[in-house]
Amino acid sequence: MENIYKPDLAEVKEIIDETADTRTLRLQFKDPEVHKAFSFKAGQFGEYSVFGEGECTFCIASPPTRMEYIECTFKLVGKVTNALRKLNVGDTIGLRGPYGNSFPLEQMKGKNIVFISGGIGLAPVRCITWNVLDLRNEFKDITIVYGARRVEDLVYKNELEQWKAMKDVKTYITVDPGGETPDWKGEVGFVPSIVEKVAPSGENSIAIICGPPIMIKFTMPVLQKLGFKEENIITTLENRMKCGLGKCGRCNVGNVYVCKDGPVFNYTQMKALPDEY
Amino acid sequence: MAELKEIAKELLTSGTVAYIIGYASEKNDKTVPFIARTVEDAEKLVFTHHSVNNLSVYLKRIKKPESGKVGLVVKGCDLKAVVALIQESQSKREDIYIISPKCNTVVSDNTKPWNKDNIASKCLSCEVRTPSLFDATFGEIETVELPSDEQIELIKKVEAMSTSEKWEFWKNEFEKCVKCYACRQACPLCYCDQCIVDKASPRWIDSSATVQGNFAWNMIRAFHLSGRCIGCEECNRVCPVDIPLSLLNRKMSMFAVSEYDYKAGTSIEEPTLVGTYKLTDNEDFIK
Amino acid sequence: MKDYIITAENIQLLVNDVLKQGWDVVSESKTGVNFNAIKDASELAIKSDSKPSKLSMKDFFFPKTEPLFFYRQSHDGVELVDASPIEKKTLFLGAKPCDAAAIPVLSKVFNWDYKDEFYNKRVENSVVVSLKCNYSDDYCFCTSIGLSQKAEQGSDAMLTEQQDGSYFLHIVTEKGDEFFKMYSQYLKDTQAENNKPVESKYPEPAVKFDQGKVKGWLDANFEHDFWNNLGDVCLGCGQCTFVCPTCHCFDIVDENCNYHEGGRMKNWDSCQLCLFTKHASGHNPRDGQTKRYRQRIQHKFKYYEDKFNEVLCTGCGRCTRGCGVGIDIGGIMERIDKF
Ligand SMILES: Cc1cc2nc3c(=O)[nH]c(=O)nc-3n(C[C@H](O)[C@H](O)[C@H](O)COP(=O)(O)OP(=O)(O)OC[C@H]3O[C@@H](n4cnc5c(N)ncnc54)[C@H](O)[C@@H]3O)c2cc1C
Ligand code: SF4
Ligand code: SF4
Ligand code: SF4
Ligand code: SF4
Ligand code: SF4
Ligand code: FES
Repeated sequence: MENIYKPDLAEVKEIIDETADTRTLRLQFKDPEVHKAFSFKAGQFGEYSVFGEGECTFCIASPPTRMEYIECTFKLVGKVTNALRKLNVGDTIGLRGPYGNSFPLEQMKGKNIVFISGGIGLAPVRCITWNVLDLRNEFKDITIVYGARRVEDLVYKNELEQWKAMKDVKTYITVDPGGETPDWKGEVGFVPSIVEKVAPSGENSIAIICGPPIMIKFTMPVLQKLGFKEENIITTLENRMKCGLGKCGRCNVGNVYVCKDGPVFNYTQMKALPDEY
Repeated sequence: MAELKEIAKELLTSGTVAYIIGYASEKNDKTVPFIARTVEDAEKLVFTHHSVNNLSVYLKRIKKPESGKVGLVVKGCDLKAVVALIQESQSKREDIYIISPKCNTVVSDNTKPWNKDNIASKCLSCEVRTPSLFDATFGEIETVELPSDEQIELIKKVEAMSTSEKWEFWKNEFEKCVKCYACRQACPLCYCDQCIVDKASPRWIDSSATVQGNFAWNMIRAFHLSGRCIGCEECNRVCPVDIPLSLLNRKMSMFAVSEYDYKAGTSIEEPTLVGTYKLTDNEDFIK
Repeated sequence: MKDYIITAENIQLLVNDVLKQGWDVVSESKTGVNFNAIKDASELAIKSDSKPSKLSMKDFFFPKTEPLFFYRQSHDGVELVDASPIEKKTLFLGAKPCDAAAIPVLSKVFNWDYKDEFYNKRVENSVVVSLKCNYSDDYCFCTSIGLSQKAEQGSDAMLTEQQDGSYFLHIVTEKGDEFFKMYSQYLKDTQAENNKPVESKYPEPAVKFDQGKVKGWLDANFEHDFWNNLGDVCLGCGQCTFVCPTCHCFDIVDENCNYHEGGRMKNWDSCQLCLFTKHASGHNPRDGQTKRYRQRIQHKFKYYEDKFNEVLCTGCGRCTRGCGVGIDIGGIMERIDKF
């Protein structure tokens, strides 16, 4: 009997501490055949489980263009994330997915792309960013704005350096005022004001934005002023999920199942949803 | 009833209360909880043999109004819950305007007419049909012919069972539990911000509705209400699978009386049972 | 397909025969609380004029708690073990039409795209023989949902009580036909009878609202004062969703376990409970009972229809009969219809 709730087994190959409470796991499916067959699109998510503790939902943070590992980056908040944090290299977890829709990669081709994210919201954005960078020629100007509260809250620090070093990518890393260290060389200021300062043109552009609701709220008007069309502003929703399969009834916003019809929505679609996210 | 409406109108007009939690008529004779905010609403307030709900359950859910008190229509039996909430510092006496009727018993089955054979079991041993704590009262006490108390007979029957028979009895009952937690939601004294069954890490009680998980839940619920349950039988009434939760509660209350001479919800000045220790307290049960 | 007559005695014999073949036979329990797998025909409670049992029979298709798989774990690795296969054949006897009708409605959500084989297997392995309903009360509204006291949706066959105490057996599906062919010795031809169905003591419930009109109002009124009054008195107890034949929300948890072994469970859950949608951050999109109650109504009478073209309700009235504060879902629909 086919069992949609049964995960595949995956092994923790490497653990990377991003911040004091955020960690990345590099995973490989135990069965090489399963690993080879696994394919996904940027923006999709998985259900990760520690046996005896339960399951939780994270986006797949590594890009589909780099399939050696599947990565997830999670923040310590509760039961399962606590258990995940106790794992060592070589330990086994359960993984099922990929679920949900994805960023509209095809539609993004030939356009300017602006990636805007805050805090751990970089996880899904990182996935699509690398996906785009790995196919660099197919896109026009690329701008990255990423912010965190304090310097020590920035995730993927190595990769931020790599992006900064890229000549054909404009990268702006910022921390909230007061969150800088004496040797901080990046921007200081909230994400919306940095976007305003950088002022990427909304002409033939797509913005991907992910982060705390408050950041999204204040960045929206900035993007609209810059000429971004609503359907070209794309975000992901994080409703509480259990099954990821459109069955358990937990994630709906109006008649939309975020786990299947989402988690990626453009701003036009978002505006049509009732305010329950 | 006219008295109740008059009391309500005057309280709402004068601003003494922000609103009144009372009963309104529904289909047939049934009454349902109703929040009266205006004088027109006050016209809808009723108190009948079908006013079964213990409305003090809403005290735990509503915020203190900006001005005025919360008016509460509350029977003598249910009033004990208000007293217990005050004893346990969950409510303040001065925040509540207590409208307590003289009560002539309520029905057991709310869809059928009130008569000798349709009277709630808690009414059969009721000593508070005339309330003793109130800001306003209304109604007249009438003589009511009561049937025999079958619940106490059943308690005696269960008491007389052997341990394995008791196990069987409760296993059959608890097996039916679907873990809806309606018993908790309807209880005026289950007011914890986070109930123990909702704590995920560590998880003390299985959320699965297995025999093990059901026993754990039902026993914890009963224990957390021991010496606190005031016997309104709301938990029993709302349980969708008819588990006789009152047997456990009542047995516990009987124990509190026999061992500690304590009746929950009797006086707002008295300290709570679990909050006090007397040197004379019986400790035999701790083995 | 052919229809038959079956006597009450022959139902008993048939049931015992079915039990002997190793099948489960499920019928309403005599207490009227739930449905039970019976061990002997004497436990059968087939009553056409009884109130719907407090719990619906969905427990037998979508159990209140069910293992999805088990694990064994050591430092050398993890092994996943399937839950025991769902093979048991089950005869459901005497279900009310409003109970049986929930089965195809639920099939929609359990089968769009991903298929929940736990549900499907149980449906596949079952033969549902419902009983023409002769009951109704203030809280029934099957006719407003397009069903009736003799609706056949979800039934493989339907019994109708006759005046002489026998039953008219109407075969609805191939599956029902095949099943009864195996037990033809208990059946009689209909022509041989000159008998009538019993008069129903309770009339078929009147149509109380126009579902299309209600849907139109729901489409336009996600925000409305109407919702506030409902949320004020609702206890958020979830009783209504647990007893409901069509509610299907569940939780997935690892329980009954330690590091070395345990299982992952699929447990009933409810949108009426306050933690249902609460995020780990503390943010809760449905942070009050008003929003939670609105979800229930919207899901049943709008979202599910938008998505699957079905109303997520059969009008059985269970939720209302059991609600401790008398919130009447049919009554709410009637009020919406009159707006
Ligand atoms: C599409 C999607 C993508 C996501 N991607 C990421 C990602 O990339 N990285 C990331 O870090 N997060 C991500 N999240 C969020 C992540 O799923 C949650 O943070 C995670 O599931 C928390 O799991 P947990 O078991 O540790 O927390 P839980 O223990 O489930 O909950 C944590 C807290 O929530 C409360 N709580 C909620 N439910 C209960 C309950 N039943 N009982 C008791 N308390 C409860 C408690 O306050 C508890 O402390 C994503 C979510 C979605 C929907
Ligand atoms: S436990 Fe039951 S009887 Fe006791 S106070 Fe609570 S609801 Fe009332
Ligand atoms: S109300 Fe009844 S079924 Fe629901 S949790 Fe309580 S005991 Fe169990
Ligand atoms: S509607 Fe009634 S049964 Fe449902 S959650 Fe509210 S109080 Fe409970
Ligand atoms: S919502 Fe109520 S009336 Fe409708 S199917 Fe569920 S229990 Fe029955
Ligand atoms: S009404 Fe609530 S519990 Fe029932 S199916 Fe809909 S969301 Fe789930
Ligand atoms: S997560 Fe279960 S339905 Fe979306």
